[in-house]
Amino acid sequence: MSLNFSSPFFLFGLIGMSIPILIHLLTRRQQKHVHFSAVYLLSQSQKRSIKKSNPNLLLLLLLRCMGIALLSLALAGPFFYFGDSEAFRSNAPSSYVFIVDDSYSMRSHIKEGTLFESAIQFLSNFLTKIPEGSEFSLVLASHPARTVQDWIAQKNSFEKLIHGLQPSYQRTDIGHAMEKATHLLSTASHKDKSLILLTDLNENGWDKEVFLEVASLLNTPLQVFDFSILAIKKNQVSVESVETHQEFLARSRILKIKTKIKNHSQSSQRLPVSLIFDNKLEKETLIDIPAGQTIAKEFSIPLRSGDSIRGKIKAGEDALLTDDIRYFSHQPNRNIKVLVVDGDPGTVSHQSESFYLERALNPFSVSVSHIDPTVSTLAELPLRNLSDFSVVIFANVRDLPVGYELKLESFVLRGGALIFGMGDQVDAKYYNEKLGNLLPVTLEAVQKLKKTHLLFKNNQHPVMRAFSAKTIKEMKEIPFHSIYTIQARDGKSFKVSNWFTNKNPAILESDSGKGKVIVFLSSLDRDWNDFPIQPTFLPWIQRWTQYATRGLENFSQQNLLIGETFTQKIDKPNGQWAVRTPGGNLHLTLTADGKTHFNKTGFPGVYTLFELPDETLPKTITKLPLGAQSIGSFTVNLDTKESSPQKLSDIKTFLPNLKVEIKKPELEVSQLPTSEGMMLATPLFLFVVGILLMEGWMIRKE
Amino acid sequence: MENASSNFDPQVLARISSLKITAINMVDGILTGQHRSRHKGASVEFAEYKDYSPGDEIRHIDWKVAGKTDKYHVKQFEQSTNLKCTILLDSSGSMAYKSPFEKEESKINYACNLVAALSYLFLKQFDAVGLTLFNDAVVQHIPPRSKASHLQHILHGLSTLSAKGVTQVENVLSGLAERLQGRGMLILVSDFLTHDQDIHKSLKLLRSRGLEVILFHVLHPDEINLPFDGDTIFESLEDDPTVGLDPIDIREEYQKAIQEKIDQLKKISNGLGVDYVFMDTSIPLQQALSYYLLKRKSLIKL
Repeated sequence: MSLNFSSPFFLFGLIGMSIPILIHLLTRRQQKHVHFSAVYLLSQSQKRSIKKSNPNLLLLLLLRCMGIALLSLALAGPFFYFGDSEAFRSNAPSSYVFIVDDSYSMRSHIKEGTLFESAIQFLSNFLTKIPEGSEFSLVLASHPARTVQDWIAQKNSFEKLIHGLQPSYQRTDIGHAMEKATHLLSTASHKDKSLILLTDLNENGWDKEVFLEVASLLNTPLQVFDFSILAIKKNQVSVESVETHQEFLARSRILKIKTKIKNHSQSSQRLPVSLIFDNKLEKETLIDIPAGQTIAKEFSIPLRSGDSIRGKIKAGEDALLTDDIRYFSHQPNRNIKVLVVDGDPGTVSHQSESFYLERALNPFSVSVSHIDPTVSTLAELPLRNLSDFSVVIFANVRDLPVGYELKLESFVLRGGALIFGMGDQVDAKYYNEKLGNLLPVTLEAVQKLKKTHLLFKNNQHPVMRAFSAKTIKEMKEIPFHSIYTIQARDGKSFKVSNWFTNKNPAILESDSGKGKVIVFLSSLDRDWNDFPIQPTFLPWIQRWTQYATRGLENFSQQNLLIGETFTQKIDKPNGQWAVRTPGGNLHLTLTADGKTHFNKTGFPGVYTLFELPDETLPKTITKLPLGAQSIGSFTVNLDTKESSPQKLSDIKTFLPNLKVEIKKPELEVSQLPTSEGMMLATPLFLFVVGILLMEGWMIRKE
Repeated sequence: MENASSNFDPQVLARISSLKITAINMVDGILTGQHRSRHKGASVEFAEYKDYSPGDEIRHIDWKVAGKTDKYHVKQFEQSTNLKCTILLDSSGSMAYKSPFEKEESKINYACNLVAALSYLFLKQFDAVGLTLFNDAVVQHIPPRSKASHLQHILHGLSTLSAKGVTQVENVLSGLAERLQGRGMLILVSDFLTHDQDIHKSLKLLRSRGLEVILFHVLHPDEINLPFDGDTIFESLEDDPTVGLDPIDIREEYQKAIQEKIDQLKKISNGLGVDYVFMDTSIPLQQALSYYLLKRKSLIKL
C-alpha cells in the first residue's frame, strides 16, 4: 500500500498553511493580566455564557489550515495504491511508449483542426503531467510502422519532435507498431512502464496474425485514447480508382476516364463528382450512390493535343477530404514521324518494299496509330530533311548517296533511330565498308533456307511483351526462306534481340550516341518471307518503331499506392533519372540491375520522371539541369482500405490476455496514466468544499 | 497587636492626618443633630410626670405640683445618652481592588475614608465608636470609646490596614453577635464579594439582639460594569482560581450576576430592617455620605 502523487509540485502549497497561522498570530489581541476582585463571579458567568470566542477562533484557524492543506493535497493528485508500493510510484520516473496513429484517417477534420492535431496536442499536454526524469519513445503506426524516437529523457526535445510530425497518407498498421513498442519496452530503463496508444480505432490496420505474435510478448497494460469520438461526421465517400483509356476512332481521339466511388455511409448519397485538369474544373456531374455501394462513373473527353494530361477526380466533401480525391495522368502516344526508304520500288504498288510497311505503320491512312510514315525513294533521299523524322527505315536499300552515311551517323548520335531491312538489293560490300560506324556487324551473305522460324524465348524482349502467347505462337509459325548471315565487328557491341530457329540472329540492336540502330536480317516485304501479310506484322513493326524511339514503355499507366516503389526498366545502364514529386521536390532515382527505382512515394499526386543528360551525374539534385527531358509520369494514390469508417468492435480479441483500457482523450489533473490506484483528489475536493461551508457557517454565527 | 514602631511610621502618620482632615471636613459640613436615647434620664429636656413610688430620686419630685395637688409626682426627662457603635470593615483581598484604568484610590481607601468620617461623626456627638477589621476572621478590634482622642486609635487602625485574605462575613458576624452589647449600632462596610450565601442568617441574629445595623456596600464601577476587553487573564485578589477569557463574551452575564447580588442584599436588608447603603466609589464620598445622612435624618424625624 502506498500513497502517491501525480503532481507532487502542488505539495508546496502546504506551506500556505502558515498564512492563516501568521494572520492569527498577528491579529491576536495581546493577553492582559488584571487583578480582579470578583473572579468567582466571572467564572460563574463564563460557565453560563454561550459565547465562546476563543475556542471558535482556534477552530476557525484549524479549519482554514485544513482547507489549505487539503486543497494542496487534492491538486497534487494523490492516489492510493493497494498493491506493491515499489512497483507503483507514479511520481517516480517511468518509461512511456507512445504509439501515435498517423494514418490518413487521422486527417479527418473535427471542430478545430484534425484528429491528428488534437492527438499531438493531447500528447503535448500529457507530457506536462509526466514526472521529471521519465523517458519517452515514439512509434508511428501508419504503414510501415516505425520508431521515430528511441528512448529519450529530454521532454523539450521530445515535445519539439512531436510538434514537427505530420500525418502520413498511409493506412494504419497497429500490429507492427505494437511489435516495435514491445521491443522498446524490453529496453526501457525504468521499472514502471506505460504503453499509450493514440488512435481513431479504425478497423483497418488491426491484423490478427501480427497480433498473435505481439500479444504473447506484451505484458504492459495498454491505454488506448480513442480520438474518433471527437469526429463530428464520419467519412462518407472515397474515390476508389481512376483509370484512363484512350480509344481509337476514325478522325477523333477520345480519352475515357473511369472512376469508382464508394459510399461508406449508411444512407444513400447524392454528390458532385468533378474531373479536374491542372486545378481547372473540366467536368462536373451529380451521382447517386446507394448506402455501402460502389458506383462507377466514366468521363469522356476529346484529346486536343499530344501533351500529357494530369488531373484528379474529386467526389463530394466530407470530414476526410484526403480520400475524396484521386489523381491520374495520361501520356498520349506521340506521333512518330518515320521515313521509309524504299530500295526497290516497283511499278505495281504491292510489289514495292514499302507497300506493307506503310500500311502496317499507319493502317487507317490517317494518323491514329501515332506513326506517320513518309515513303521516299533513294533518289529523293538527299532532298529530305532528316531532322523532321524520328525513325528512318531502310527497306532493301542497295546503297546510299555519296556521303549520306555521315548524315545518318549524325542523325543517330542526336537520338534518331535507324531500322535496316534486308533484301536482294542490299549491297553487303557497301554496307560493310561505308556503314561501319552505324552497323555493329558485317553482312556476310544471303542464306537461302528451306524454312526457318523466329525463335521466342521466355526472357522476352520489351517489344514482345505486349503479345499474347497465342500471337507469339502464330508468329513462330511464319516461314522465313532467306536471311542474311552476319559477322560481329571488332570493338562493337550489339544485342541480338531475336534469333531464328537455325541459330542465326534475326534482329540486332545497338546504341549509338542517343540513338539506336536496329537490323532485321530478313526482308520487310514478301520477297524472303510471308511475315508482312500476317496480322501480327502490324503490331510487331509498330512496336519496333516505337521501341526505336524509346516510346514503347508508357509508364504513365502505372498507378501506384502510397509507399510503393516505382520501378522502370531502363536500357541505359549508366544513365541517370530524377523524379519530381507533386510537392515540386526533385529526387534522383536509384538504378540497379537494369531498373531504376524510386521509393519516396509518400504523397498522393502525379510524379514526373526526367532523364538527365549524360554529362551530368550529380549525387543530389535540387534543380533540373539543362537538357533534362521529361520522359513520362506516374501517379501515386491512397490505399482506400483506410477510408472505411468502420470502428474496431472488440479490442480484446486482439489482445486477450492484456489489460486494455479505452479512454476518452481528456486529461484531468487527477488522471494518471501509469497504472491503477484509488484516486483521492475528488474526496479531498469535497472535503475542501465542506470545510469552506463550515467556515462560512461559523463566521455567520459569530 | 500593632507593632510599636508602626505608630511612628511617617507614612502611617501622614495617612492618619489625611484621614482626619478628610473626616473633619466631611463631618463638619454635614453634622446635624444628636442621637436620642431610649432611656429617660438626667437631661434638661422634660419628658413626663410620674407618680412617686419609693425608690425614686427625691430630687426629681416636682415640688410645685406637690404643693398644688398634694401628690408626689416625679419629673421624668429624656435621657441623652452615648451611642455605642461598632464599625466592621472588610479588609479582605477583594477590597484592595484598584482599577487599572484610573489613578484614583482603591476601594479600601474609599472605605477607610468612610469609616474615618463616620467615627469622627460619632465621636463628635460624644458617642462611643469602635472598629473591627476582618477578613475570614477578626483581624483587629478597637473597642468603642466616646473620648475624642479615641479617633486617633481608629485612624491608626485604618492606616495600618492591609487588605488581604478571604472574606467570610458570616463567621465574623456570628462571632461578634455574641460579644456586642445589645441596643447598639453595627456598621458593616464591605464589598460583600463572598461566596457566602447565608449573610441573611447572621444579619437576622444581629437584629434580634436589638442592634441597629447599617450595611455600606462599597463597589468599584469596574466591578459593576466589567469594562475590560481583549483576551484577559483575571487573577483573583483572594483565593479564586485564575480565569482567562474575553470579557466581551461574558459582560452581559456578569453584569446580570452582580446586579442580582446587589438586589439580593438589598432585599435581605429591607426584610430585616437593616439600612442598606450602596456606595459606588466613583461617586465622591462626601456626596454619598451626606445624601445618606440627610435621608436618615428625615426618616428619624418622621
